Amino acid sequence: MNGRKWLIKNKNKALKEPVHEKAVSSISRDLQINEKELYSLFDEAPDLKVHHIKLNGETNAILTYLEGLTDKKTIQSNILKPLMTKMKSIDQLWSSNVIYSHIICTLSWTEIEAALLEGNCILFVNGEEKAIIIDSQGWPQRSVEEPHSETMLKANHEGFLETASQNIALIRRFLPNRELKIKQYKIGERAKTNIYLIYLRDVTNPIIIEELEQRINSFTVDTLLTTGELEQYIEDATFSPFPQSILTERPDATAMHILEGRVAIIVDRSPRVLITPVNFLTFFQTIDDYSLRWYLAIFVRLLRLLSFFIAVFLPALYIVVIAFHYEVLPMKLILSISESREHVPVSPFLEAILMESTLELLREAGIRLPSNIGQTVSIVGGIVIGQAAVQAGLVSNIMVIVVSLTAIASFIVPVFDMAYSIRLVRFPMMILGWMFGMVGIAMGFMIILAHLVTMESMGTSYGTPLSPMKYSDWKDSVIRSPLRNLKRRQSGPRPIQRNKK
Amino acid sequence: MMEYTSEGVAMRSQSINNISLMQYIFIIHGTQVGIGILTLPRELTEIAGTDGWISILIGGAFSILVSILITSIMKKHPDKTLYDLLLIYFGSYLGTLVNFIVVLYGALATITVIFTTLFVINVWVLVETPTYLILAGYLIPLFIIGSNGIKALGRYSEITFYFSIWMPILLLFPLKDAHVLNLLPVVKEGWYPIISAVRTTFLSFLGFEMAFFFYPYLTCKQHATKGIIVANLLSLGMFLVITMVSYLFFSPKEITQYEWPTLTLLKVIEFSFLERFEIIYLSFYMYVLSTTWLPYTYVTILGSQAILKKGSHKKHLLIFIFLLLLISIFFQPSYLQIAKLAKTWGSAGYIMGYVFPVLLGFYIILHHFFKTRKSA
Repeated sequence: MNGRKWLIKNKNKALKEPVHEKAVSSISRDLQINEKELYSLFDEAPDLKVHHIKLNGETNAILTYLEGLTDKKTIQSNILKPLMTKMKSIDQLWSSNVIYSHIICTLSWTEIEAALLEGNCILFVNGEEKAIIIDSQGWPQRSVEEPHSETMLKANHEGFLETASQNIALIRRFLPNRELKIKQYKIGERAKTNIYLIYLRDVTNPIIIEELEQRINSFTVDTLLTTGELEQYIEDATFSPFPQSILTERPDATAMHILEGRVAIIVDRSPRVLITPVNFLTFFQTIDDYSLRWYLAIFVRLLRLLSFFIAVFLPALYIVVIAFHYEVLPMKLILSISESREHVPVSPFLEAILMESTLELLREAGIRLPSNIGQTVSIVGGIVIGQAAVQAGLVSNIMVIVVSLTAIASFIVPVFDMAYSIRLVRFPMMILGWMFGMVGIAMGFMIILAHLVTMESMGTSYGTPLSPMKYSDWKDSVIRSPLRNLKRRQSGPRPIQRNKK
Repeated sequence: MMEYTSEGVAMRSQSINNISLMQYIFIIHGTQVGIGILTLPRELTEIAGTDGWISILIGGAFSILVSILITSIMKKHPDKTLYDLLLIYFGSYLGTLVNFIVVLYGALATITVIFTTLFVINVWVLVETPTYLILAGYLIPLFIIGSNGIKALGRYSEITFYFSIWMPILLLFPLKDAHVLNLLPVVKEGWYPIISAVRTTFLSFLGFEMAFFFYPYLTCKQHATKGIIVANLLSLGMFLVITMVSYLFFSPKEITQYEWPTLTLLKVIEFSFLERFEIIYLSFYMYVLSTTWLPYTYVTILGSQAILKKGSHKKHLLIFIFLLLLISIFFQPSYLQIAKLAKTWGSAGYIMGYVFPVLLGFYIILHHFFKTRKSA
């Protein structure tokens, strides 16, 4: 009790630390004072450009911007050119019939600072107590590319980019509907990051929006660099091995989820969009399922679920069968297995752990390397090490089969966050199997089930539609029935409008 | 158009501790299908020969009757569990005493089922693993489910039912060597042995008394009676299938030789790629058994919380888990002790499940009678 009090006390102390804030001064009539103030705000910033111009041939003015965050062409043709050539009187500035870009008048230095950092131009005019923020954003961007981590066969080939406005545009292209609402938040103590909640107002449950709003406002960070950080700040179960929201790079998949009543969260500067609330089976669905023939789609979905069980339980099953219950297998099979294991110096458990870790090493190495070297690694790792290890008598060939099967099965899961979790969960399962044999596997199954059943994502149960059981939802979760039959939205995200239209 | 209908209301209540009708059914059914199954065919044959299935039907009828009685008692106070009810009707001192007995009953049931589970595992699957270690493994899901309240229990029981559907179906496998003649003639030794075997089926049907504790959490209470009857019928069907299959497969003399004839039945199941299938079956049956001891644990914790009136749910659960572990370290039961435990639980359950509801029903009727007279 005392300890806790002490902790809280300390925490409060930390919070009360004086925050150093610059005294806010207002914009001066004198241009030189303004310039000085500008240089004191951005004192070691060689990318700050200050343009001295003469408006109307007589009034001094300064146009300032951060080079690189602004678009040079816009500045030259939309701002400088009309200012120099077309302007007849100063009053024209405020009525915005000179400058071709979007402008805002401002009086405060804090606004100016923020606007400059976001890539706007600021125009100070001598003799005026206000400044103009001129929209001229244009930072280095890549063009729309196919998302590498989520390739689909039949869906489109656009992926999200690093600029929030463009990502919003990509989503709007799929959902040109006025009910598509966007809420903006700024978080980050040191550098503000823009966050956008995107949802359909007449479909998404307002409770979820409320809950999300509350969670987004509940934490403080320096700044958000990736969407993955946001995911961990707003998720429900911190200690769960399973992901509780989907991060996707696909605008079409995002639109699909928004149509189901989920919320998409765009974090500026991150090409991944967070989708919440989700349930366990959502991770096994892709947008491609809807363009496949329906029985093929059912087959693929069941295959993914099967792959979940293989990836989690197969190595444990191997340990159990070899080390505990070899009597489960028929005689001939036992003989052939024992023949291949004859020279293996380690126990089945150690063998499995070693091989599975090797697999993880290969996978991790493959991610970091450039794609052409990555292939070499997989060949060297997969074929050479596997084959050679068996021939050297270090592992049995059954083990190699088991390892490759689990690897393949885990890669079938479409969302790679879930695939990671599955691969991780496999290790405790192996330990349980090693300790308790078949009973241990059943125990592991119980634990996973108990965990999945109790977990919630934004107040919706993670296990739906399996538990709580909702048969009507099975049509588009466990299987996928013909599209004509999918007239209602999934009940998982609790949409307020159930019928699709 | 927006649909702000009753769905919206249901959504709001989703995060509150509630169970649906299906979950209610599966909690009760899950509690009923427990360790009784393992010994039921033998115990029945010892008394009633191969006419035991008639006893099951009669026992089932009894349990349905009592279930309806319990439901109608609970309907008088739809928001209260048995613990609150006893305090209302018996006053704080006597009520607490009875509550304490009910808690002891819950603890006894939990301990009996868990230790039988552990014993069976130790005999059939893991011969050398110490009991407390296996128990520790089972306590993890117990903690996860227990600390998340009744909603989690409902969902767990539900999904466990679906995951275990394959198990009774596989039990039909030995029917390929069935001898229908084993059953004939029906009622060979008169009705007396059949009637006297009914009492042995009572232990198997125990579990409907969960209505005492879970009824208040049910969302659609108007279907409660229907639900509990369905649960009883499901269990009845399960027991019938298992006894019938053992009667048809074993000869009447043979059954009595096996301690757990149901497990012996599994030995017959064999595939070209799998032998000794009963190891896999049994391991997963131990998982299915968890739906028996989880509700009893819940009852125990609920009761201890009601009596002590302090401490969070989680704290009580942790203490109970700790006690279970402690017991398992010092108490390694033999077969006879397990059988004795089961017998004690059987008689306690007989009182708790059959005698007590009837008495309580009478008492409540009298109570209301006198109360209305007094006020009149």
